[in-house]
Amino acid sequence: MSYVLSLLIALPLVAAPFVFIATRANRRLGIYLSLALSVVVLAIAAYVFGQVYATPPPGGQYLFQEKYSWISFSSFGLNYFLGTDGLSSPLIFVSALLTVLVIIGSRKLIDHHEAEYYSLIFMFEGAIMGVFTSLNLILFYIFWEIVLIPMFFFIGVWGGPRRKYAALKFIIYTFSGSTIMLLGFLYFYMGMPSPSFDIPTIQTMLQAHQIPVALEYVPLLASFIGFAVKLPLVPFHSWLPDAHVEAPSPISVLLAGVLLKMGGYGFIRISIGLFPGASTEYAWVFLALGLFSMFYGAVAALLQKDLKKMIAFTSINHMGFVLFGAYATLISGSVLGIQGAIFQMFTHALAIGCLFMLSGYVQHQAGTREIPLLKGLGITMPRTAVILVLGSAAAMGLPPFSSFLAEFMVIVAGISASAITAISVLVPVITAGYFLWMIKRTVLSPAEPGHESHDMGWSDVAAFAVYLIPLVVLIVTSYLILTPALPVAQFLKGLA
Amino acid sequence: MTDYLTITVALLAGTGLFLPLLQVFRTGRENLAGYILALVLAASLALIGLFTLYPSTVPWAGSLVIPDQMGGVFALVTLGVTLAVTVASFDFLKSGNKPIYYSLLGFTALGMVLLSYSQDLLMLFVSWELMSLPTYVLAGFDKKQHSNEASVKYAIIGAMSSAVILYAISLAYGLTGSTQISTVVAGFTSHPSALAGVATLLFVAGFGFKMSIVPFHMWIPDAYEGAPTTISTLLAAATKKAGFIAAIRVLLAITTLYAVTNSPLFTMANVFAVLALVTMTVGNISALTQKSMTRLLAYSSIAQAGYILIGFVAFSNAPGSSAAIIGLTGTVFHVINHAVMKGAAFLAAALVLLQLKRSDLKAYDGLGRRMPITAFTLAVAFLGLAGVPPLSGFWSKLLLILSVANGPYGWLALAAILNSAFSLGYYAWIIKRMYMDEGESTEKVKEPFWFVLIFAVMVGLIIGIGLFPQQVISFVSNAVTSFAG
Repeated sequence: MSYVLSLLIALPLVAAPFVFIATRANRRLGIYLSLALSVVVLAIAAYVFGQVYATPPPGGQYLFQEKYSWISFSSFGLNYFLGTDGLSSPLIFVSALLTVLVIIGSRKLIDHHEAEYYSLIFMFEGAIMGVFTSLNLILFYIFWEIVLIPMFFFIGVWGGPRRKYAALKFIIYTFSGSTIMLLGFLYFYMGMPSPSFDIPTIQTMLQAHQIPVALEYVPLLASFIGFAVKLPLVPFHSWLPDAHVEAPSPISVLLAGVLLKMGGYGFIRISIGLFPGASTEYAWVFLALGLFSMFYGAVAALLQKDLKKMIAFTSINHMGFVLFGAYATLISGSVLGIQGAIFQMFTHALAIGCLFMLSGYVQHQAGTREIPLLKGLGITMPRTAVILVLGSAAAMGLPPFSSFLAEFMVIVAGISASAITAISVLVPVITAGYFLWMIKRTVLSPAEPGHESHDMGWSDVAAFAVYLIPLVVLIVTSYLILTPALPVAQFLKGLA
Repeated sequence: MTDYLTITVALLAGTGLFLPLLQVFRTGRENLAGYILALVLAASLALIGLFTLYPSTVPWAGSLVIPDQMGGVFALVTLGVTLAVTVASFDFLKSGNKPIYYSLLGFTALGMVLLSYSQDLLMLFVSWELMSLPTYVLAGFDKKQHSNEASVKYAIIGAMSSAVILYAISLAYGLTGSTQISTVVAGFTSHPSALAGVATLLFVAGFGFKMSIVPFHMWIPDAYEGAPTTISTLLAAATKKAGFIAAIRVLLAITTLYAVTNSPLFTMANVFAVLALVTMTVGNISALTQKSMTRLLAYSSIAQAGYILIGFVAFSNAPGSSAAIIGLTGTVFHVINHAVMKGAAFLAAALVLLQLKRSDLKAYDGLGRRMPITAFTLAVAFLGLAGVPPLSGFWSKLLLILSVANGPYGWLALAAILNSAFSLGYYAWIIKRMYMDEGESTEKVKEPFWFVLIFAVMVGLIIGIGLFPQQVISFVSNAVTSFAG
């Protein structure tokens, strides 16, 4: 039995108190320790990612499995059960990568309660790794909820002026959604002929047709509510703009880059993976909701004056693609949908992470995030402007950024499900429209006279390059993600 | 084996009787009584702990008391809480009469231990009174206006509930000719009558006062607010639990309300389900609007009683099924967790009241910086009460909701889930006040040693049981299986 995944979860969780003590004693020591630890976690995550690519587990099977009995009495049993496959390994890797970048970016942007801040980052990272590697529904739920606690404090302590309101709204929204999801799991468990919370066990029973489709509707609806709040899917999205606007920028990176992925991951792993019969029956509803979210996010982003709010709505738009792609596979049987959805989650994490971090720099350097007030960035802050243009290009899915490929795959899968969904090609057009308009107003406009320039340093440019280079590299090496994703997509298609 | 129980009873009774002598001799060492009681309670805890590991079905004191595992669990919980309250009182109690205070605490503890093991209605009633009478005095121990008011209100309602229970016992004796619980229940089942149904409902009402079930909860917020906060801790975390063991012993074996009406809807499971729903909903909604911490905790305690009742529903609905075992395990487990979490929260509130001289919620603004240990304890206890994993409260709530998740009481599971989410509204709100709001002052406040010690133990239990629940769950489920056996 392997201990790699447990290490991936335990290392950040155990590190948290040490980081707290170190940062209390000496700020620089604490930040360097955080950076070093997060790089170690990234190395482990990269190893996991590489192994999954080297030997992709066949559909329905998982690498690095760990299984221990946690609680058992009378007829009730619960396992500590971890494993990874082509769906979770890219997310594990990108979460670890973003954590490193967030710690680098926080040096300048976070200036109080730093000991608490860095230790909470590690608590968050450990919990996220747990979400992506759990193969037991209750374990999954536990990590899912632990993620909320650091995020509640991140928004509430280090956020903007309305931070307390945003923090409470965030935690009540997402906690309500996830408790309902839990109820769905419990209902499902009690109805099974031989109850189990283990995802692979349930999938084996599904393949043997031991679970009646009638049992799947309630948990599908319940898990839909939990995941739709996280994704977020319109109309469950109203916490997201508030949370993003108030959260400090490094935390927005984690929020959009990592936390939203939990929703997309949940839809693919659980809604489709455990309730395939009911999912297929209602696939059109999900497809339509995804499409609506894509359009809504794009149009709402167009109307925003706050740079960060615009990026937040772009997230809603992009995450709509994930749902759209995943359910397009169920309807059309084209594996491109789920593959594209997994790819989209990976590219979105980096592209949107870059933009959110950049919005923090812009506010820090220029003193505002209002698009109409930001003028002449191309002249006053040339390096920032270049990153902004490149990040926007990545977000709108312009080649050579691999976000292009991801959105392309999803749209193709959608069209093979139904020709009507071809209208989804309009979404990238609107996205490109508002990004270009934003660039015209901020980068290409003439500078206000007398405005001093505070551009970012070259070390920051290097950090931003880490977001963007993988996106370019992946368009030629997309097989790194798509090859291990293929058996997952085929397996899920086969279940349905 | 039953010698353990003899020693425990003798220890507690002897301590209760002789502690007041310290008052007479005026040794000048006021806290001595407290130290003695704490040692005795710790010794009793150890004895009962051993005793529960090697449970016995040999009757003790005739057939009045049978020391089974189920009783052991409750005796341990109530003794543990009393010990925590005693230790916290070392710092909390300022006025004189300390030996009397500790002596009364000792008698309450004895009452709760005997009640946990009672197998006979008369024994149950006597230990019920032994537990309750000292708390009436303790609730008024402050000799201040609001404390006395709380005490009188509590005493009147308490006397009423005792009268209701006694009336139910007399009906039961009249119908079955016995006060032995098992005989009474068997008699109710074999000769159903309308009077048996009435007696059952009277038991629900009588125990309901202590268990803080809506609509028998009216006295709770006033009493908890007026009483010295350490005594509120005792009422919420210990005597309330004693109400639950009485209900488990008497009510769980009765499944239908024979012949009160002929409607098939009128089953005990339905009665419990409605009570659970109303109790948790009323408790949570009222808690949200409170301005004082003790009242908020009182309503939260009422809401938790609603969750605990869910296990009763699952058990009465299908005794012997796996859902029944899961549900009752959840009930007993939640009783344990709730005692720890609510005990921690109340003692944290007691310390804030002691040091800042106020209990309104404004006192909690910015508490995270002023009293970091207290604020952390309160935050952990609140997250546990809301059912956030991986804290201990999550597991018991999980089992409770699981037991009714799929079946005729699915609506109750949904209600409990929504209530949990709703309750986070006020729990997270207090945490927000402690860690995100600016207080009126940022000056550090002293956190006395004994309180910090108890907080450390309780936070350790909440997190420890949360991470490694197997030991406690199998202990509880053994007790439940042998009880349901």
